[in-house]
Amino acid sequence: MVRLNDLHEAEAEHLRARAGAMQRIEPGTWLTPKPLAESTVAIVSTAGLHLRSDAPFTLGALDYRVVPGDADWGDVVLSHISTNFDRSAFQQDPNISFPLERLHEMAAAGEIGAVSPRHYSFMGAMPNPSLFADTGSEVGQMLAADGVDVALLVPV
Amino acid sequence: MREQSEAVGPTRALWVPFALGRPLGSAEDPEFQKDVMRQAFGLLANATEPTIADYEGPMPEEAGPGQWACPLNLGPFVDDTLTGRLLAEVGRLKTWSAQTRAARGRTMFGVSGARPDQIDDVARALASIADADSITDAPAGDVEWAFDMPLLIRHLADDVRTFYHEAIAAQPGSAAPNHDALNDWVFGGTALGDTLQAVADRLTAADDPMASLVRGLVIPEGRYQGGSAF
Repeated sequence: MVRLNDLHEAEAEHLRARAGAMQRIEPGTWLTPKPLAESTVAIVSTAGLHLRSDAPFTLGALDYRVVPGDADWGDVVLSHISTNFDRSAFQQDPNISFPLERLHEMAAAGEIGAVSPRHYSFMGAMPNPSLFADTGSEVGQMLAADGVDVALLVPV
Repeated sequence: MREQSEAVGPTRALWVPFALGRPLGSAEDPEFQKDVMRQAFGLLANATEPTIADYEGPMPEEAGPGQWACPLNLGPFVDDTLTGRLLAEVGRLKTWSAQTRAARGRTMFGVSGARPDQIDDVARALASIADADSITDAPAGDVEWAFDMPLLIRHLADDVRTFYHEAIAAQPGSAAPNHDALNDWVFGGTALGDTLQAVADRLTAADDPMASLVRGLVIPEGRYQGGSAF
């Protein structure tokens, strides 16, 4: 994501301080995945997007929303709280942060094996990633149950 | 940001130099987006240890400050109150917003709880905050708001900006404006910018921790005349 030097000085300093306070996540067992062309792929986003019928995200939200693999962009809204990132490109083309249509195109072309029937959205801007341990593990179990081999994590 | 990725230590990460809100780089450019994805997916086959790779490729086209200007003349106003000016400005943008909604077949307006046709209600509610006696009482009107006050204020602001973004997206011209160019326009003399400044002033005057937090969610950093949110 963006260079800190591209941001407003106060925002850059804030984010630099956050990085300094973040704790390293110990890696699990190293896995060599099967070929991408045989892999089922899901998107996990921190853009705070969700279906219009879902409850919006609230301040400090650690929960998530399910985005169906056949979601219609007309049913999608975004309730991320930050005002410091641009929404206009997402409004123009949601694939710019949630590339669902691109996954379907890559599956049709044989670049990936399949698109997961379910994808997941969290709200970012959370300084301590470890707070997502419970809901993150839950989403991991759901992805496994859907036969997902690769999770494409897309911060916003 | 790379600094945060380095701190957390993801297994495989692709660092991209694109603006916040645009992690795949370029809107309505499927090949650009898929190239970014292919570089990320390439780490599955190539990385043998935790890796942060750098994106290699072109930068997206976007219009920065000085490269884009809204062609519409949004003044003068008959009703010079904040609400009157904002409603008049919204009224002039409606035909353009409608063009974008028709072309896209959708809108992302309405996260506040408003229906797609309730922009006047949302604008009126936002402007009313500037003079509100309380920042915990929801604005009057026919909308079933999706948030409690004062967090609702953040999403009222977002919905009005969404409507403005739709309006300028329909206008003929060059590359779409980026975040800085949009903020230069909004906070460079529009009634919306003046309304957001007045709402932020009201939140600041409330001298309340939650109000201060919401103040930082209403106006992008560096744009509030009252100072930084950090």
